[in-house]
Amino acid sequence: MSLFVEDPAYLSKSRLKSDLVAHNVALPPTKSKKEVYVDLHLKHIAHNNAAEFSSDEEDQEEDVADKEEDAEIPDPSCLTDDDLKAALLEHGVKAGPIVASTRALYENKLRRLLQSEGHGCLNGVEKGVLYSDSEEENGEKEDEESGSERAKEETVEQSDQAQQRSSQFPSGSQPVMSSGGSLISSQAFSITQMVKEVESRRSLTTSTDSERELNGSNVQEHWSRSTRLDKPIVDKYTINNQSLYYTPKESPCIRDMKLSQEPVEDMLQEMFPNTEATPTGICATRRRPIKGAAGRPFQYAYPDTPASPTTLERREVERRLVPFQIQILVFVIVACLLYLIYVCVEDYSFSPFVALLDSLDQGSDSEEGPLLQAETQDTPALSGQE
Amino acid sequence: MSSTSQKHKDFVAEPMGEKSVMALAGIGAALGKRLEEKGFDKAYVVLGQFLVLKKDEELFRDWLKDTCGANVKQQGDCYGCLKEWCDAFL
Repeated sequence: MSLFVEDPAYLSKSRLKSDLVAHNVALPPTKSKKEVYVDLHLKHIAHNNAAEFSSDEEDQEEDVADKEEDAEIPDPSCLTDDDLKAALLEHGVKAGPIVASTRALYENKLRRLLQSEGHGCLNGVEKGVLYSDSEEENGEKEDEESGSERAKEETVEQSDQAQQRSSQFPSGSQPVMSSGGSLISSQAFSITQMVKEVESRRSLTTSTDSERELNGSNVQEHWSRSTRLDKPIVDKYTINNQSLYYTPKESPCIRDMKLSQEPVEDMLQEMFPNTEATPTGICATRRRPIKGAAGRPFQYAYPDTPASPTTLERREVERRLVPFQIQILVFVIVACLLYLIYVCVEDYSFSPFVALLDSLDQGSDSEEGPLLQAETQDTPALSGQE
Repeated sequence: MSSTSQKHKDFVAEPMGEKSVMALAGIGAALGKRLEEKGFDKAYVVLGQFLVLKKDEELFRDWLKDTCGANVKQQGDCYGCLKEWCDAFL
């Protein structure tokens, strides 16, 4: 219990007020001095502590537990749905609908949170426990959930952290310059191990990049340059020599400071090798597309719809047959030809047809002549009718 | 993808419709029977519970454990199956 550890004089006025309220002590007038609150606090709460010490251990624990729960929240199962939801919200848990099936779960969750908080109070650092709880929850969540789901959030978090670190470096550079390098050790104290690992490898490749940085390029550009490892080192040396000429005012301490910074930044680059240089420093991975909906790709590669044997046969046969369009074209051409023939026959009034008959009947008797004449008479009659 | 079973793939490939609760990944005959006794006879009822818990992994796992006694692997399979189904069709 935190109360017998803390001296009321060190508590703030508002804290004293809340403690008094928790112990059902009548508050003094609002404008009274802190001393009044402290006295009341000492009287009542010290009195309670004395009572605790005098009683049995079990009673003591019960009293502590009861007081703790009274100070915090009553038993979760006695709460109404709304109260339960509010209690969970106080602990930073956004609860969904509290229905019959979900109530038990949320009660258990609240109990777990209360227990963890209670242990934290015994240690005397309530806020620290809250923070550690949230960190633990995050850690647990990251462990439980699959990497693919959280990878996006992690990259975003990491990029944010990287951004924060990168922003710290430029701010740190100025005091370093002013103090003359005394802060170099303090900056690099937490990452000296990684720096040593990286320094020997990167010192050559990054020395030129540090020069460019001083000329005003972004940190992101530096990262992108350091990724281009295929660049020949000879070019960098020549560029380095040139830049030395162009920036004669650089003092060696600044260069050393930059060199010490680069391994740190390159360490970051090592840690996040996949991050590309973006103008805003924000990396966002594409959301996994929704499968099965209109036009969006399926996650699983399923084979094409299997065709039945008859359809396969039909496809093969169709390949060998003459295409439909060509068939229609041929039909139309034939129809036109026939029509032309018919018209030609009409125009000449069967005269070629008659000529044919004449040629056939050349060797025939004259008896057929009147028949032919009758025919010729008939045909003009026919053509006349038409 | 290497950790998803055939059951998972089958469930996630199409709308669940009237599938039984045993079609869910991680839910076999024993667990399915217990869920049915509690009233969760169809997969969509379990989906309802999953959605009411706002698709929260921890809460859903706890609920599964309390309701049918699923172990950690079964809980994870069922959660993953439902989550992916929701991503695809919800």
